[in-house]
Amino acid sequence: MDRNQETRENYANPRTCFFHVIFKAAALAFYILSALFFNSFVIIFVVTVFLAALDFWVVKNVSGRILVGLRWWNEINEQGESVWKFECLDHESLARMNKKDSWLFWWTIYLTAVAWIVLGIFSLIRFQADYVLVISVCLTLSIANIVGFTKCRKDAKKQIQQFASQTIASQFSSTLQSAFSLV
Amino acid sequence: MSHGDTIPLHPSSQSDIDEIENLIYDSVQSSQATVLPARPPSPPRASIPVSSSPFINSNIPPPSYQKATVSAPSKQPVPAVLPVSSADFSTPSGGDARQGISSDAFGSPANTLTEPVWDTVKRDLSRIVNNLKLVVFPNPYREDPGKALRDWDLWGPFFFIVFLGLALSWSASVKKSEVFAVAFAMLAAGAVILTLNVLLLGGHIIFFQSLSLLGYCLFPLDVGALICLLKDNVILKVIVVSVTLAWSSWAAYPFMSAAVNPRRKALALYPVFLMYVSVGFLIIAID
Repeated sequence: MDRNQETRENYANPRTCFFHVIFKAAALAFYILSALFFNSFVIIFVVTVFLAALDFWVVKNVSGRILVGLRWWNEINEQGESVWKFECLDHESLARMNKKDSWLFWWTIYLTAVAWIVLGIFSLIRFQADYVLVISVCLTLSIANIVGFTKCRKDAKKQIQQFASQTIASQFSSTLQSAFSLV
Repeated sequence: MSHGDTIPLHPSSQSDIDEIENLIYDSVQSSQATVLPARPPSPPRASIPVSSSPFINSNIPPPSYQKATVSAPSKQPVPAVLPVSSADFSTPSGGDARQGISSDAFGSPANTLTEPVWDTVKRDLSRIVNNLKLVVFPNPYREDPGKALRDWDLWGPFFFIVFLGLALSWSASVKKSEVFAVAFAMLAAGAVILTLNVLLLGGHIIFFQSLSLLGYCLFPLDVGALICLLKDNVILKVIVVSVTLAWSSWAAYPFMSAAVNPRRKALALYPVFLMYVSVGFLIIAID
Protein backbone atom coordinates (compact mmCIF):
# COMPACT_ATOMS: atom_id res chain seq x y z
CA MET A 1 0.00 0.00 0.00
CA ASP A 2 1.27 3.45 -0.77
CA ARG A 3 0.38 4.68 2.65
CA ASN A 4 2.72 2.28 4.34
CA GLN A 5 5.75 3.29 2.36
CA GLU A 6 7.55 6.37 3.49
CA THR A 7 7.68 8.93 0.80
CA ARG A 8 11.22 10.13 0.70
CA GLU A 9 11.30 13.78 -0.04
CA ASN A 10 14.28 15.28 -1.60
CA TYR A 11 15.18 18.88 -1.25
CA ALA A 12 12.76 20.84 -3.33
CA ASN A 13 15.12 23.74 -3.85
CA PRO A 14 18.62 22.38 -3.81
CA ARG A 15 20.24 25.53 -5.15
CA THR A 16 18.63 27.72 -2.57
CA CYS A 17 19.64 25.34 0.17
CA PHE A 18 23.15 25.36 -1.16
CA PHE A 19 23.42 29.14 -1.09
CA HIS A 20 21.74 29.26 2.28
CA VAL A 21 24.44 27.09 3.75
CA ILE A 22 27.46 28.16 1.74
CA PHE A 23 27.83 31.70 3.01
CA LYS A 24 27.44 30.71 6.62
CA ALA A 25 29.93 27.89 6.21
CA ALA A 26 32.33 30.15 4.33
CA ALA A 27 32.23 32.84 6.99
CA LEU A 28 32.83 30.34 9.79
CA ALA A 29 35.50 28.46 7.86
CA PHE A 30 37.30 31.59 6.84
CA TYR A 31 37.30 32.88 10.35
CA ILE A 32 38.60 29.66 11.81
CA LEU A 33 41.17 28.84 9.15
CA SER A 34 42.37 32.29 8.34
CA ALA A 35 44.70 32.45 11.30
CA LEU A 36 46.73 29.78 9.56
CA PHE A 37 47.18 31.69 6.34
CA PHE A 38 46.86 35.40 6.93
CA ASN A 39 48.72 37.53 9.35
CA SER A 40 46.62 40.54 8.77
CA PHE A 41 43.60 41.01 10.94
CA VAL A 42 42.13 43.49 8.52
CA ILE A 43 41.62 40.92 5.81
CA ILE A 44 40.11 38.48 8.24
CA PHE A 45 37.73 41.11 9.52
CA VAL A 46 36.64 42.45 6.18
CA VAL A 47 36.15 39.10 4.49
CA THR A 48 34.39 37.46 7.43
CA VAL A 49 32.05 40.35 8.02
CA PHE A 50 31.37 40.67 4.32
CA LEU A 51 30.49 36.98 4.06
CA ALA A 52 28.30 37.25 7.14
CA ALA A 53 26.51 40.25 5.69
CA LEU A 54 25.96 38.42 2.41
CA ASP A 55 24.61 35.47 4.32
CA PHE A 56 22.24 37.73 6.21
CA TRP A 57 20.96 39.17 2.96
CA VAL A 58 20.57 35.76 1.31
CA VAL A 59 18.70 34.30 4.24
CA LYS A 60 16.44 37.27 4.66
CA ASN A 61 15.65 37.89 1.04
CA VAL A 62 15.99 34.61 -0.77
CA SER A 63 16.07 31.45 1.25
CA GLY A 64 13.55 32.63 3.80
CA ARG A 65 11.04 33.14 1.06
CA ILE A 66 11.78 30.07 -0.94
CA LEU A 67 12.46 27.50 1.74
CA VAL A 68 9.93 28.42 4.38
CA GLY A 69 7.75 31.04 2.80
CA LEU A 70 8.32 33.68 5.44
CA ARG A 71 9.44 37.24 5.14
CA TRP A 72 10.04 40.08 7.54
CA TRP A 73 11.05 43.68 7.10
CA ASN A 74 10.87 47.08 8.58
CA GLU A 75 9.00 50.04 7.21
CA ILE A 76 8.62 53.60 8.20
CA ASN A 77 5.07 54.72 7.81
CA GLU A 78 3.63 58.10 7.03
CA GLN A 79 3.65 59.19 10.64
CA GLY A 80 7.33 58.51 10.84
CA GLU A 81 7.01 55.48 13.03
CA SER A 82 8.91 52.33 12.51
CA VAL A 83 6.80 49.30 11.82
CA TRP A 84 7.95 45.71 11.65
CA LYS A 85 6.07 43.71 9.12
CA PHE A 86 5.82 39.96 8.89
CA GLU A 87 4.45 38.01 6.01
CA CYS A 88 3.86 34.42 5.16
CA LEU A 89 2.38 32.38 2.40
CA ASP A 90 -1.17 31.19 2.67
CA HIS A 91 -1.52 28.15 4.82
CA GLU A 92 -1.97 25.66 2.02
CA SER A 93 1.37 26.52 0.55
CA LEU A 94 2.93 26.54 3.95
CA ALA A 95 1.63 23.05 4.53
CA ARG A 96 3.09 21.96 1.22
CA MET A 97 6.53 23.32 1.95
CA ASN A 98 9.18 20.71 1.73
CA LYS A 99 9.93 19.41 5.20
CA LYS A 100 13.58 18.83 4.48
CA ASP A 101 14.01 22.38 3.25
CA SER A 102 12.54 23.93 6.32
CA TRP A 103 14.45 21.54 8.58
CA LEU A 104 17.68 22.61 6.94
CA PHE A 105 16.75 26.26 7.12
CA TRP A 106 15.99 26.37 10.80
CA TRP A 107 18.76 24.09 11.94
CA THR A 108 21.50 25.89 10.06
CA ILE A 109 20.37 29.23 11.38
CA TYR A 110 20.45 28.05 14.97
CA LEU A 111 23.68 26.12 14.59
CA THR A 112 25.47 29.08 13.06
CA ALA A 113 24.51 31.32 15.95
CA VAL A 114 25.69 28.70 18.43
CA ALA A 115 28.97 28.33 16.55
CA TRP A 116 29.57 32.07 16.66
CA ILE A 117 28.84 32.14 20.37
CA VAL A 118 31.33 29.36 21.00
CA LEU A 119 34.00 31.12 18.94
CA GLY A 120 33.21 34.31 20.81
CA ILE A 121 33.78 32.60 24.11
CA PHE A 122 37.17 31.42 22.89
CA SER A 123 38.12 34.94 21.87
CA LEU A 124 36.98 36.35 25.16
CA ILE A 125 39.05 33.84 27.04
CA ARG A 126 42.09 34.82 25.01
CA PHE A 127 41.37 38.53 25.49
CA GLN A 128 41.49 39.25 21.79
CA ALA A 129 39.35 42.31 21.51
CA ASP A 130 39.73 42.50 17.75
CA TYR A 131 38.26 39.10 17.21
CA VAL A 132 35.49 39.77 19.67
CA LEU A 133 34.55 42.68 17.43
CA VAL A 134 34.30 40.45 14.37
CA ILE A 135 32.29 37.87 16.22
CA SER A 136 29.90 40.38 17.71
CA VAL A 137 29.11 41.74 14.27
CA CYS A 138 28.50 38.27 12.84
CA LEU A 139 26.48 37.26 15.87
CA THR A 140 24.30 40.34 15.62
CA LEU A 141 23.47 39.49 12.03
CA SER A 142 22.63 35.87 12.86
CA ILE A 143 20.47 36.78 15.80
CA ALA A 144 18.62 39.39 13.81
CA ASN A 145 17.61 36.76 11.30
CA ILE A 146 16.65 34.27 13.98
CA VAL A 147 14.45 36.75 15.79
CA GLY A 148 12.85 37.99 12.59
CA PHE A 149 11.98 34.58 11.27
CA THR A 150 10.83 33.21 14.59
CA LYS A 151 8.42 36.09 15.01
CA CYS A 152 7.29 35.53 11.46
CA ARG A 153 6.63 31.87 12.08
CA LYS A 154 4.61 32.56 15.19
CA ASP A 155 2.61 35.05 13.23
CA ALA A 156 2.07 32.48 10.51
CA LYS A 157 0.77 29.94 12.99
CA LYS A 158 -1.64 32.48 14.39
CA GLN A 159 -2.89 33.19 10.91
CA ILE A 160 -3.35 29.52 10.16
CA GLN A 161 -5.49 29.14 13.22
CA GLN A 162 -7.53 32.16 12.31
CA PHE A 163 -7.92 30.94 8.78
CA ALA A 164 -8.93 27.49 9.93
CA SER A 165 -11.55 28.84 12.27
CA GLN A 166 -12.77 31.17 9.58
CA THR A 167 -13.07 28.31 7.13
CA ILE A 168 -14.85 26.12 9.62
CA ALA A 169 -17.23 28.93 10.42
CA SER A 170 -18.04 29.56 6.79
CA GLN A 171 -18.35 25.85 6.06
CA PHE A 172 -20.69 25.54 8.99
CA SER A 173 -22.83 28.40 7.79
CA SER A 174 -22.94 27.05 4.27
CA THR A 175 -23.90 23.63 5.59
CA LEU A 176 -26.67 25.27 7.54
CA GLN A 177 -27.81 27.10 4.44
CA SER A 178 -27.85 23.96 2.34
CA ALA A 179 -29.66 22.15 5.12
CA PHE A 180 -32.30 24.85 5.18
CA SER A 181 -32.62 24.86 1.42
CA LEU A 182 -33.28 21.14 1.43
CA VAL A 183 -35.97 21.43 4.01
CA MET B 1 -7.21 13.11 -2.82
CA SER B 2 -4.94 10.60 -1.16
CA HIS B 3 -3.81 7.65 -3.12
CA GLY B 4 -5.27 4.75 -1.29
CA ASP B 5 -8.59 6.37 -0.67
CA THR B 6 -11.18 3.92 -1.84
CA ILE B 7 -14.11 5.01 0.26
CA PRO B 8 -16.64 6.65 -2.01
CA LEU B 9 -17.70 10.02 -0.76
CA HIS B 10 -21.26 10.76 0.10
CA PRO B 11 -22.63 13.09 -2.59
CA SER B 12 -23.41 15.89 -0.17
CA SER B 13 -19.95 15.81 1.34
CA GLN B 14 -18.46 16.09 -2.10
CA SER B 15 -20.37 19.30 -2.65
CA ASP B 16 -19.24 20.53 0.74
CA ILE B 17 -15.69 19.85 -0.22
CA ASP B 18 -16.18 21.75 -3.43
CA GLU B 19 -17.62 24.62 -1.49
CA ILE B 20 -14.72 24.67 0.88
CA GLU B 21 -12.31 24.69 -2.01
CA ASN B 22 -14.15 27.58 -3.58
CA LEU B 23 -14.03 29.47 -0.32
CA ILE B 24 -10.34 28.88 -0.04
CA TYR B 25 -9.71 30.04 -3.58
CA ASP B 26 -11.88 33.09 -3.12
CA SER B 27 -10.18 34.13 0.03
CA VAL B 28 -6.76 33.50 -1.44
CA GLN B 29 -7.59 35.52 -4.51
CA SER B 30 -9.20 38.37 -2.71
CA SER B 31 -6.50 38.64 -0.14
CA GLN B 32 -3.87 38.51 -2.83
CA ALA B 33 -5.32 41.66 -4.19
CA THR B 34 -5.34 43.54 -0.98
CA VAL B 35 -1.84 43.00 0.16
CA LEU B 36 -0.37 45.42 -2.33
CA PRO B 37 -2.11 48.51 -0.97
CA ALA B 38 -1.15 47.49 2.51
CA ARG B 39 2.46 48.33 1.83
CA PRO B 40 2.84 51.86 0.63
CA PRO B 41 5.52 52.07 -1.99
CA SER B 42 8.30 54.44 -1.11
CA PRO B 43 8.22 57.83 -2.80
CA PRO B 44 11.15 57.76 -5.18
CA ARG B 45 10.07 54.52 -6.75
CA ALA B 46 7.16 54.05 -9.06
CA SER B 47 5.17 50.90 -8.73
CA ILE B 48 5.17 48.91 -11.86
CA PRO B 49 2.89 45.97 -11.55
CA VAL B 50 4.67 43.36 -13.47
CA SER B 51 3.33 40.11 -12.18
CA SER B 52 1.05 38.04 -14.28
CA SER B 53 -1.60 37.76 -11.65
CA PRO B 54 -4.84 39.39 -12.75
CA PHE B 55 -5.80 40.36 -9.23
CA ILE B 56 -3.32 43.01 -8.35
CA ASN B 57 -5.19 46.08 -9.48
CA SER B 58 -8.56 45.25 -8.07
CA ASN B 59 -9.72 46.97 -4.97
CA ILE B 60 -11.61 44.30 -3.19
CA PRO B 61 -12.16 45.24 0.45
CA PRO B 62 -10.01 43.20 2.71
CA PRO B 63 -11.38 39.98 4.04
CA SER B 64 -12.71 40.26 7.54
CA TYR B 65 -9.82 38.61 9.25
CA GLN B 66 -7.21 40.90 7.87
CA LYS B 67 -6.40 43.67 10.28
CA ALA B 68 -5.66 46.90 8.62
CA THR B 69 -4.04 48.64 11.55
CA VAL B 70 -0.60 49.97 11.08
CA SER B 71 0.93 48.15 13.95
CA ALA B 72 -0.44 44.78 13.06
CA PRO B 73 1.75 42.70 10.91
CA SER B 74 0.56 42.60 7.39
CA LYS B 75 -0.81 39.23 6.73
CA GLN B 76 -2.12 36.94 4.16
CA PRO B 77 -0.82 35.22 1.18
CA VAL B 78 1.47 37.40 -0.66
CA PRO B 79 2.62 35.36 -3.51
CA ALA B 80 1.31 36.98 -6.60
CA VAL B 81 1.81 40.37 -5.22
CA LEU B 82 5.43 40.53 -5.13
CA PRO B 83 6.00 41.97 -8.51
CA VAL B 84 9.43 43.17 -9.06
CA SER B 85 8.62 46.76 -8.39
CA SER B 86 7.22 47.29 -5.05
CA ALA B 87 9.54 47.71 -2.59
CA ASP B 88 11.41 47.54 0.30
CA PHE B 89 14.27 45.68 1.34
CA SER B 90 13.20 42.41 0.84
CA THR B 91 12.43 41.33 -2.34
CA PRO B 92 9.88 40.96 -4.58
CA SER B 93 11.83 39.37 -7.20
CA GLY B 94 11.58 36.04 -5.65
CA GLY B 95 7.94 36.82 -5.78
CA ASP B 96 7.91 34.91 -8.96
CA ALA B 97 9.25 31.91 -7.22
CA ARG B 98 6.67 32.28 -4.53
CA GLN B 99 3.91 32.58 -6.98
CA GLY B 100 5.13 29.37 -8.45
CA ILE B 101 4.98 27.77 -5.09
CA SER B 102 1.55 28.89 -4.15
CA SER B 103 -0.40 28.81 -7.33
CA ASP B 104 1.13 25.89 -9.10
CA ALA B 105 1.56 23.87 -6.00
CA PHE B 106 3.34 20.68 -6.79
CA GLY B 107 6.30 20.36 -9.01
CA SER B 108 6.39 23.93 -10.24
CA PRO B 109 9.76 24.53 -11.77
CA ALA B 110 11.53 26.90 -9.43
CA ASN B 111 12.85 29.99 -11.09
CA THR B 112 16.56 29.88 -11.60
CA LEU B 113 18.15 31.39 -8.61
CA THR B 114 20.15 33.85 -10.61
CA GLU B 115 17.19 35.65 -12.00
CA PRO B 116 15.50 36.70 -8.79
CA VAL B 117 18.80 37.38 -7.14
CA TRP B 118 19.94 39.78 -9.82
CA ASP B 119 16.73 41.70 -9.64
CA THR B 120 16.99 41.97 -5.92
CA VAL B 121 20.59 43.01 -6.10
CA LYS B 122 19.78 45.66 -8.66
CA ARG B 123 16.99 47.00 -6.55
CA ASP B 124 19.08 47.13 -3.42
CA LEU B 125 21.89 48.82 -5.29
CA SER B 126 19.54 51.41 -6.68
CA ARG B 127 18.25 52.04 -3.19
CA ILE B 128 21.75 52.61 -1.94
CA VAL B 129 22.44 55.05 -4.74
CA ASN B 130 19.17 56.85 -4.12
CA ASN B 131 19.86 57.21 -0.46
CA LEU B 132 23.30 58.48 -1.18
CA LYS B 133 22.05 61.10 -3.57
CA LEU B 134 19.36 62.15 -1.17
CA VAL B 135 21.56 62.51 1.84
CA VAL B 136 24.87 63.70 0.64
CA PHE B 137 24.42 65.76 -2.44
CA PRO B 138 22.89 69.22 -2.57
CA ASN B 139 19.34 68.74 -3.56
CA PRO B 140 17.09 71.77 -3.71
CA TYR B 141 14.08 69.61 -4.46
CA ARG B 142 14.45 67.58 -1.36
CA GLU B 143 11.26 67.43 0.61
CA ASP B 144 11.04 67.32 4.34
CA PRO B 145 14.45 66.03 5.35
CA GLY B 146 13.06 63.97 8.15
CA LYS B 147 11.23 61.87 5.62
CA ALA B 148 13.95 61.64 3.07
CA LEU B 149 15.62 58.54 4.41
CA ARG B 150 12.40 56.62 4.64
CA ASP B 151 13.86 53.50 3.13
CA TRP B 152 16.87 53.27 5.25
CA ASP B 153 19.32 50.55 4.56
CA LEU B 154 22.52 49.64 6.28
CA TRP B 155 24.50 48.41 3.31
CA GLY B 156 25.69 51.87 2.34
CA PRO B 157 26.93 52.72 5.82
CA PHE B 158 28.57 49.31 6.07
CA PHE B 159 30.55 49.83 2.89
CA PHE B 160 31.52 53.37 3.80
CA ILE B 161 32.72 52.49 7.27
CA VAL B 162 34.71 49.53 6.01
CA PHE B 163 36.18 51.63 3.22
CA LEU B 164 37.21 54.35 5.62
CA GLY B 165 38.78 51.78 7.90
CA LEU B 166 40.63 50.24 4.99
CA ALA B 167 41.86 53.60 3.76
CA LEU B 168 43.12 54.54 7.19
CA SER B 169 44.69 51.16 7.67
CA TRP B 170 46.41 51.32 4.31
CA SER B 171 47.89 54.72 5.08
CA ALA B 172 49.23 53.56 8.38
CA SER B 173 52.74 52.23 8.21
CA VAL B 174 52.60 50.38 11.48
CA LYS B 175 49.87 48.74 13.52
CA LYS B 176 47.52 48.41 10.60
CA SER B 177 45.16 46.03 12.32
CA GLU B 178 44.73 48.21 15.33
CA VAL B 179 44.03 51.23 13.18
CA PHE B 180 41.37 49.40 11.28
CA ALA B 181 39.74 47.94 14.35
CA VAL B 182 39.78 51.26 16.14
CA ALA B 183 38.36 53.12 13.18
CA PHE B 184 35.59 50.61 12.66
CA ALA B 185 34.65 50.36 16.31
CA MET B 186 34.77 54.10 16.78
CA LEU B 187 32.56 54.80 13.81
CA ALA B 188 30.05 52.11 14.62
CA ALA B 189 29.89 52.87 18.32
CA GLY B 190 29.89 56.57 17.56
CA ALA B 191 26.87 56.24 15.30
CA VAL B 192 24.99 54.28 17.95
CA ILE B 193 25.88 56.77 20.68
CA LEU B 194 24.94 59.75 18.57
CA THR B 195 21.59 58.19 17.88
CA LEU B 196 21.05 57.54 21.56
CA ASN B 197 22.01 61.12 22.21
CA VAL B 198 19.28 62.38 19.94
CA LEU B 199 16.75 60.01 21.43
CA LEU B 200 17.66 61.01 24.96
CA LEU B 201 17.31 64.67 24.09
CA GLY B 202 13.70 63.94 23.38
CA GLY B 203 14.11 63.90 19.64
CA HIS B 204 12.02 61.91 17.25
CA ILE B 205 14.19 59.80 15.12
CA ILE B 206 14.17 56.16 14.35
CA PHE B 207 17.21 54.25 15.48
CA PHE B 208 18.06 52.55 12.21
CA GLN B 209 17.21 55.59 10.16
CA SER B 210 19.68 57.63 12.13
CA LEU B 211 22.37 54.95 11.91
CA SER B 212 21.85 54.85 8.19
CA LEU B 213 22.04 58.63 7.94
CA LEU B 214 25.23 58.94 9.90
CA GLY B 215 26.76 56.19 7.82
CA TYR B 216 25.86 57.83 4.54
CA CYS B 217 27.25 61.15 5.74
CA LEU B 218 30.62 59.46 5.97
CA PHE B 219 30.84 59.41 2.21
CA PRO B 220 32.62 62.78 1.89
CA LEU B 221 35.15 61.71 4.50
CA ASP B 222 35.71 58.53 2.50
CA VAL B 223 36.52 60.61 -0.53
CA GLY B 224 38.83 62.75 1.58
CA ALA B 225 40.58 59.71 2.98
CA LEU B 226 41.08 58.31 -0.50
CA ILE B 227 42.64 61.53 -1.69
CA CYS B 228 44.88 61.69 1.35
CA LEU B 229 45.88 58.12 0.70
CA LEU B 230 47.04 58.95 -2.78
CA LYS B 231 48.80 62.21 -2.04
CA ASP B 232 50.85 62.48 1.08
CA ASN B 233 51.19 66.23 1.41
CA VAL B 234 50.26 67.67 4.81
CA ILE B 235 48.86 70.95 3.56
CA LEU B 236 46.80 69.19 0.93
CA LYS B 237 45.54 66.81 3.56
CA VAL B 238 44.45 69.62 5.84
CA ILE B 239 42.59 71.38 3.06
CA VAL B 240 40.94 68.24 1.75
CA VAL B 241 39.92 67.10 5.20
CA SER B 242 38.47 70.48 6.13
CA VAL B 243 36.42 70.60 2.97
CA THR B 244 35.08 67.07 3.33
CA LEU B 245 34.46 67.59 7.02
CA ALA B 246 32.36 70.64 6.29
CA TRP B 247 30.52 68.71 3.62
CA SER B 248 29.74 65.82 5.97
CA SER B 249 28.49 68.10 8.69
CA TRP B 250 26.43 70.05 6.21
CA ALA B 251 24.88 66.80 5.00
CA ALA B 252 24.00 65.61 8.48
CA TYR B 253 22.68 68.96 9.69
CA PRO B 254 19.12 68.99 8.28
CA PHE B 255 18.27 65.51 9.44
CA MET B 256 19.56 65.92 12.92
CA SER B 257 18.14 69.36 13.45
CA ALA B 258 14.75 68.32 12.15
CA ALA B 259 14.64 65.56 14.69
CA VAL B 260 14.99 67.57 17.87
CA ASN B 261 13.45 70.48 19.63
CA PRO B 262 14.90 73.73 18.14
CA ARG B 263 16.30 74.80 21.47
CA ARG B 264 18.34 71.62 21.63
CA LYS B 265 19.65 71.65 18.12
CA ALA B 266 23.15 72.54 19.16
CA LEU B 267 23.21 69.76 21.73
CA ALA B 268 22.32 67.25 19.09
CA LEU B 269 24.61 68.58 16.38
CA TYR B 270 27.73 69.23 18.38
CA PRO B 271 28.57 65.56 19.02
CA VAL B 272 28.09 64.75 15.35
CA PHE B 273 30.50 67.50 14.43
CA LEU B 274 32.90 66.31 17.08
CA MET B 275 32.89 62.80 15.73
CA TYR B 276 33.58 63.95 12.19
CA VAL B 277 36.34 66.20 13.42
CA SER B 278 37.98 63.32 15.20
CA VAL B 279 37.76 61.18 12.08
CA GLY B 280 39.29 64.08 10.16
CA PHE B 281 42.17 64.27 12.59
CA LEU B 282 42.67 60.55 12.24
CA ILE B 283 42.96 60.98 8.50
CA ILE B 284 45.40 63.84 8.75
CA ALA B 285 47.49 62.34 11.46
CA ILE B 286 47.86 58.92 9.97
CA ASP B 287 51.41 58.47 9.01
